[in-house]
Amino acid sequence: MKKSFSLLLALVMVLTAFGAVPALADKTVVNYWSNDRHDEVYMSAMIEKFNAAHDDIEIKMTIMTDDFENSILLAYQGGTAPDLVGQSIDVKNFADIGAVVDLRPYIEKDEEYQKVNEPFTHAFEGLNAIGSAIYWVPSGMRSGVRIEYNKALLAASGFDGIPDNLTDYIAMAQKITADGNGATYGIGFTSSSPFERQLEMMAQVSGVFYYDYVNGKFDFSGYKPFLEAGRQLVAVAYPDQQGVDNMRAQFAAGAFALWGNASQEAGVFTNQFPITDFEWGVSPVPSLDGEIKGALQTNPNKGYIMLSSSKNKDAAWEVIKYFQSEEFLKGYLEGGYTMPISSYMDGIIDKTKLGRMADFSLLDYESVYPTVPSINLTGDNYRTVLWNAIMGHVDIDAAIEDLNTRYNQCYDDDIMYGSVQRLVIKDYDPLHPSAGTAEYLNN
Amino acid sequence: MSTYDKEHLQLRPTNRPPRPVNKKMRLKESGGLAAGLMLTPSLIFLCICSIYPFIWIFRYIGYNYNGFVARPVGFANFTRMFSDTTFWNSVVTTFEYAFWKLIIIIPLALIMAVLLNQKLRGSSFFRGAFFMPTVIATSISGMIFTFIFATQNGILNNILQTVGLMGTPINWLMDQGFAMEAVMILSVWAGFGNYMLYFVTGMTSISEDVYESSRIDGANAVQTFFKITLPMLSPVLKVVLMLAITGAFKDYEAIMVLTNGGPGSRTNVMFLYIFKLIFGTADNARMQIGYGALLSLMAAVIVGAVTIIYNLVAKRLDDVV
Repeated sequence: MKKSFSLLLALVMVLTAFGAVPALADKTVVNYWSNDRHDEVYMSAMIEKFNAAHDDIEIKMTIMTDDFENSILLAYQGGTAPDLVGQSIDVKNFADIGAVVDLRPYIEKDEEYQKVNEPFTHAFEGLNAIGSAIYWVPSGMRSGVRIEYNKALLAASGFDGIPDNLTDYIAMAQKITADGNGATYGIGFTSSSPFERQLEMMAQVSGVFYYDYVNGKFDFSGYKPFLEAGRQLVAVAYPDQQGVDNMRAQFAAGAFALWGNASQEAGVFTNQFPITDFEWGVSPVPSLDGEIKGALQTNPNKGYIMLSSSKNKDAAWEVIKYFQSEEFLKGYLEGGYTMPISSYMDGIIDKTKLGRMADFSLLDYESVYPTVPSINLTGDNYRTVLWNAIMGHVDIDAAIEDLNTRYNQCYDDDIMYGSVQRLVIKDYDPLHPSAGTAEYLNN
Repeated sequence: MSTYDKEHLQLRPTNRPPRPVNKKMRLKESGGLAAGLMLTPSLIFLCICSIYPFIWIFRYIGYNYNGFVARPVGFANFTRMFSDTTFWNSVVTTFEYAFWKLIIIIPLALIMAVLLNQKLRGSSFFRGAFFMPTVIATSISGMIFTFIFATQNGILNNILQTVGLMGTPINWLMDQGFAMEAVMILSVWAGFGNYMLYFVTGMTSISEDVYESSRIDGANAVQTFFKITLPMLSPVLKVVLMLAITGAFKDYEAIMVLTNGGPGSRTNVMFLYIFKLIFGTADNARMQIGYGALLSLMAAVIVGAVTIIYNLVAKRLDDVV
């Protein structure tokens, strides 16, 4: 019996080695690496469905959430890269070494794909497209930052919503903290990129951005009133600034009233830290004076990049088509894994299935900013320095002057050494930042 | 003289020059071949895991290298380094951190080792308990201490308030006046058990007879410690101090989790800054492997210089003592 089993095992191994197992040998395997854990259940189920229905292609998905870009680079350089990867990488870096495939030729031949995904409308310079080449097409987007608020704490201090200007917003936070008597607070900040999660976005909608696209240089001067406002907010904020999840847990426990983050909070406050003891609302971030003068940054996501090392490019394109087909996307978007970016998909999904994600629907002034050139910066980055200024560790004027000097000096040096080109958009419109014509200069 | 010796004396030529010894045979006889073979795997791993990566990274010090494309920049990285105030401030912070850590951790480890070496009841338990933090991952320790140091409902503040040592809670991690102390508490807690164990091991090698003699001569505990234990422990102490110095200068993991170099740049030690440069940050600052490599080299020179100075001082002290 034992001998027969050994013989059988040996036979299977030999057949496998020579590719004699029909189910595997006939299929072209398309390897896909993703760094999204939140949609694993849906993706796995749909991949299983695809594999069952296709005799010619098999999709193999691997999820790796840590050090994603570096892992892909190492695999590419070592000859073990997958055929497809998720879009969470800096395309420009990979394009520089010819590691990514321009999808435009495939897209142009496929009208159905164009109808569902509107790829030419959602080509953003430096983000998913460089020149005429399109390296990935977004299936959805993450909203810009919103203010999530505790309705009970607001009501207890006599408020029923978030004001549209920063002065009233500060006054609201101050009153809630005063009324809380050390037990509850008006606002909370995390230690993880705190400037980005509220004040930087308030500056954006007020028309302030750290890169001057018209003149092609960095300019932090416009942030001064937001840093002064930040000092007032920090003075009445929840005393600790911990990691994002710790602070989310505190918000969910009712420790403070105002919290800033994007559409991922819909899932966080319904599943990860479900809020059951009070009602919570979602509101646009206030601007400096109540007037919207600039676009709020949004992030296109869930795209698929084909690597140039793939030996199965046609099969890989079939997989992209499947992942971005109407059937696939309808379930994905209605599952609340991301928000629709194409008007076609936005028109056909059942929005009643979105749950709290519906509260984060796209605002008419949300847009994608052209990717700011990535420079070899000496010293701390602007978010760290500006937050240090808010916390009072450095003088506000000195911080702004330091950033203006340091960023532009490093930018000029990088341009001189050919590491980067100067991005200029002469017809730049802060309310429609992606509408202008980008120029890349060597001086 | 035995018969055997006589025979051998007769056989041994007395007026002939010594037979030339074959190098191969000498190697074999001295055990050098076996030692070489046994060392080979370690040497291979040393070359692959330590020397090669060092050379690999060293060749990029004159480049802007983001992991994808390396562009030569000549001596620009050197110029940047000398004008990089963030780096030099981090060097000063590192010296401050290392100084206070060594001042606290070595005496503490030594005192605990002496106490636990008294063969008192429960000393094995405490030895294990004090060593326990050493086996906990640094990132986990950092996370645990984030909760301990929390201003609102933090354990440390609660204890200090309960025993009446303070009125209002201390903002340990966000106040520039306390952040270094918080980092110090974590690093001492995480490291002293390890050094304590070295000292305990060193003490067990001191003969009991010496202690017995000192007792007969009427030495008290303090005299025994300074006249017997400390001098006889000095070889171990020197090694432990050297390990502690290099370790303190290279610390950054726990600081990264606990304060990430803040508040402001209060706890921004040099290897934390280098780590951020080499691996990049999310805020439009790219990976800077070339410049980071140069700073790593400078940091290695600084740590090396401190170690050499320490060795010279230790040798001088040996000569004096």
